Amino acid sequence: MPSSTGKIPMKDGLEAAIDTFRTILGDSQDFITKQLETPWNRNAALLYMNGITDRQLLQQSVQEIMDGVQPSEESSGKPDTLLVNISKKIHTAGDVKLDHTMEGLLSNLLCGYGVFLLEGCNEALAFHVEGGEGRAVEEPTSQGVTRGPMEGFNESLATNLSMIRRRIKDPRLWAKGRKIGKITQTNVVVLYIHELACPELVEEVFRRLDKIDTDSILESGYIEEFIQDEPYSPFPTLYNTERPDVIAASLMEGKIAILVDGTPFALLAPALFVQFFQSPEDYYQRADISTLLRLIRFLAFLITMLAPSFYIAITTFHQEMLPTSLLVSLAAQREGVPFPAFIEAMLMEITFEILREAAVRMPKTVGQAISIVGTLVIGQAAVDAGIVSAAMVIIVSITAVSSFVIPAINLSIAIRMIRFLLMGLAATFGLFGMMTGLIVLILHLTGLRTFGVPYMTSVAPFVFENQKDTLFRIPWRGMVLRPKYSGGKNLKRQQKSPQRKQEEGTS
Amino acid sequence: MKVVRVLLASFLLLSLLPGCWNRKEINELAIQVGTAIDKVGSQYRVAVQVVVPAEVSSRAAGSGRSPVTIYEATATTIFEAFRKLTETSPREIYSAHIRVLVLGEALAREGIIDVLDALSRNPEARSDFYIMIARKSEGKDVLKILTTLEKIPAENLFHTLDTSSKTWSPTTSVTLDQLIEQLVTKSSSPVLTGAKIIGNQHGGMTIKNVEEAESAAMVRFIGLAVFKEDKLEGWLNEKESRGYNYIMNNVKTSAGHIKCPSGGSAVMETTHTKTKLKGKIVDGEPVIRIELKNMGTISDVECRLDLKDPHMISELEERSRNHLIEVMDEAIHASKNRFHRDIFGFGQVLYRYYPDAWEKMKDNWSAHFNKLKVEYAVDSIIQKIGTTNDSLRKYLKE
Repeated sequence: MPSSTGKIPMKDGLEAAIDTFRTILGDSQDFITKQLETPWNRNAALLYMNGITDRQLLQQSVQEIMDGVQPSEESSGKPDTLLVNISKKIHTAGDVKLDHTMEGLLSNLLCGYGVFLLEGCNEALAFHVEGGEGRAVEEPTSQGVTRGPMEGFNESLATNLSMIRRRIKDPRLWAKGRKIGKITQTNVVVLYIHELACPELVEEVFRRLDKIDTDSILESGYIEEFIQDEPYSPFPTLYNTERPDVIAASLMEGKIAILVDGTPFALLAPALFVQFFQSPEDYYQRADISTLLRLIRFLAFLITMLAPSFYIAITTFHQEMLPTSLLVSLAAQREGVPFPAFIEAMLMEITFEILREAAVRMPKTVGQAISIVGTLVIGQAAVDAGIVSAAMVIIVSITAVSSFVIPAINLSIAIRMIRFLLMGLAATFGLFGMMTGLIVLILHLTGLRTFGVPYMTSVAPFVFENQKDTLFRIPWRGMVLRPKYSGGKNLKRQQKSPQRKQEEGTS
Repeated sequence: MKVVRVLLASFLLLSLLPGCWNRKEINELAIQVGTAIDKVGSQYRVAVQVVVPAEVSSRAAGSGRSPVTIYEATATTIFEAFRKLTETSPREIYSAHIRVLVLGEALAREGIIDVLDALSRNPEARSDFYIMIARKSEGKDVLKILTTLEKIPAENLFHTLDTSSKTWSPTTSVTLDQLIEQLVTKSSSPVLTGAKIIGNQHGGMTIKNVEEAESAAMVRFIGLAVFKEDKLEGWLNEKESRGYNYIMNNVKTSAGHIKCPSGGSAVMETTHTKTKLKGKIVDGEPVIRIELKNMGTISDVECRLDLKDPHMISELEERSRNHLIEVMDEAIHASKNRFHRDIFGFGQVLYRYYPDAWEKMKDNWSAHFNKLKVEYAVDSIIQKIGTTNDSLRKYLKE
């Protein structure tokens, strides 16, 4: 068994070397070898992986190799010198390097390089001709906006990186790469703006990335779980997005982005709690509209988390809190309902979660059917059958709809999980239990950190300057300073209040 | 991981051990909206009006059964009687939503303080329900009269009294805390509105009562019951009640007629009114000064009256002023001569102005009250005269 480390076995001739490659790659279908005739009376071979290389680039590069050095110029007779000279003549391919190790060549080969072997040389020439089919840039599906850029990341790291470069044309935008995953060798790029991002934070990100010791990274979720601060928390401490504008905006605030090859979802660190309530659209619409929408999101957050437990607590423990007519009306609806309010709520909430999961997993064409059946089953039929009360259907519906208002899906799911705990507490201890649960929740949230930054920054610890973009979003002309949290320098974003009113006298 | 295990275990234990403390499903409650307490011999009879939710809700309308049901029990003490209700009621009586408490006149004459103790001690009930005296009937009977517009009779009583006390000066609403405060304050006697069944009482207790446009029986709030300590002593009539409420600053809006100079009457609708009581000592004798500011509009003219004439407006204001004084004087007269007690809390007013003088007078306040001089400073202002000038009578073809 030939080894995948060490030098290329060129001593035994070109054939043997090719054979070694072929054996290591297990006679793979997409491994292409081509024997070439050269003008220098030496045999040569071209190796590449089909599908991940660009045919045209490859062809052009080979042409350049052949035409680059004339046989007459080839004076020394040393094949290694010839190879060096040839390497200087390749212009089409991006990256050209000479390598004499098997592992280097193999990894290049599998990253979309073409490998040129020349008889008699100890080294081989690898040139970057990566290409092949990928998804086009499309509208992001997970974070829609009505106004704002409509392009989203795709699975190609290079494309994704380019989308950010196009937005921030500054030499200080640094993109440092890592290969993570012992087998998958996934490209991971850490993006930040030098002098805006806190250096300690950048260091910390690299430190955590370098600690990852796993054989595969297939999505940014893998990285997220490896580098997050608190593994046992339902709350996400890294933000993920498939929108290049979000990444660009966050970079401008001194945050650090982590792009992973093969997924449209990029990570952002540090991610504060309030960030999960901010939609990119907040910054594209007028400030007053955005503020209203943002307040609605916070309200929806509270409804999602508290509505069912509040209903349970009040109807089973604190009936005195309801207005008499409402109590009578609720009592009338519950007349004949066989289950306690808690079981009733659980039944409905679980039904809803099942329907939601079904809607996500199902082929899109069947989705319509499920939604009709779902609404009918949950809504009318259950009430008519006397299994649940109409008020409970309203509570579950408003909870469900509110949970979709929160822009970040991972936070919305976290809240939905906590909701069940609160429902249990409400059913056993009433409002007292709920409040205890909320206190524990607040303790947990204030104790959380995201890359060393307190998760609740802006609220606890309270940062007055950040209030301009927490609950409210003040107009852009007022956002003179970048938000404070990571200890980043260079806080000034713009000159104070640029001219706004038309000068008097001008018509 | 150990922490997680401990937390999980304690959470499971938490949900099992406390056994759902104090948990009551909403449909396991008998929602008590009205209570009537009467005295039967030496025992208390408690009757509670409980809502039948299915009959009240808008969804299941028209089954034709009574929207409420009444449970009653008799025991030596109030609380025992309340508990004894479960002998007949399938559900626990839930008293947080009580809207009215009707006390039988017989009970009221014997004293209400023990009833109030039991009710104010109950942590479940709110104290914002209205208390009334069933006039010439038992409290229970008042709760039995079915009503149409508000399906729940207790709600009907509550809203009727609430609306009436805001727009009609002879009625007043008293809640538990107000009543107790008046009872324990020296020199002040409480008053409670009387609720009287009018019409055919027995017809009012069947569902037929709500089937016709004109109900066979209704409950009408009429007169104010005056208490001596905690015992009912007598009733103020409509005019006296009106006077009482004006003095006590209980009136929000009301309407009253003024005699026209040319005969007939005009109606002045009170839109704003405010009474201030002030105490004085004149020549060693206590004097109470009643400052009443009354603002209103002319809303009905049933005589020949030239309202375009400013003098006429002044004339009407003057007449309204005299009318108010007359009404208040009547109440004070009744208080002095019929009940021989200070039902207005004038003693308290005096105490606020002259604590030292009050200290000397308080033990003999009833005697002082009988001689008490009352000064009136009444200001009655007519702000508007409605959307027409002279009375239509003037344009009538002669």
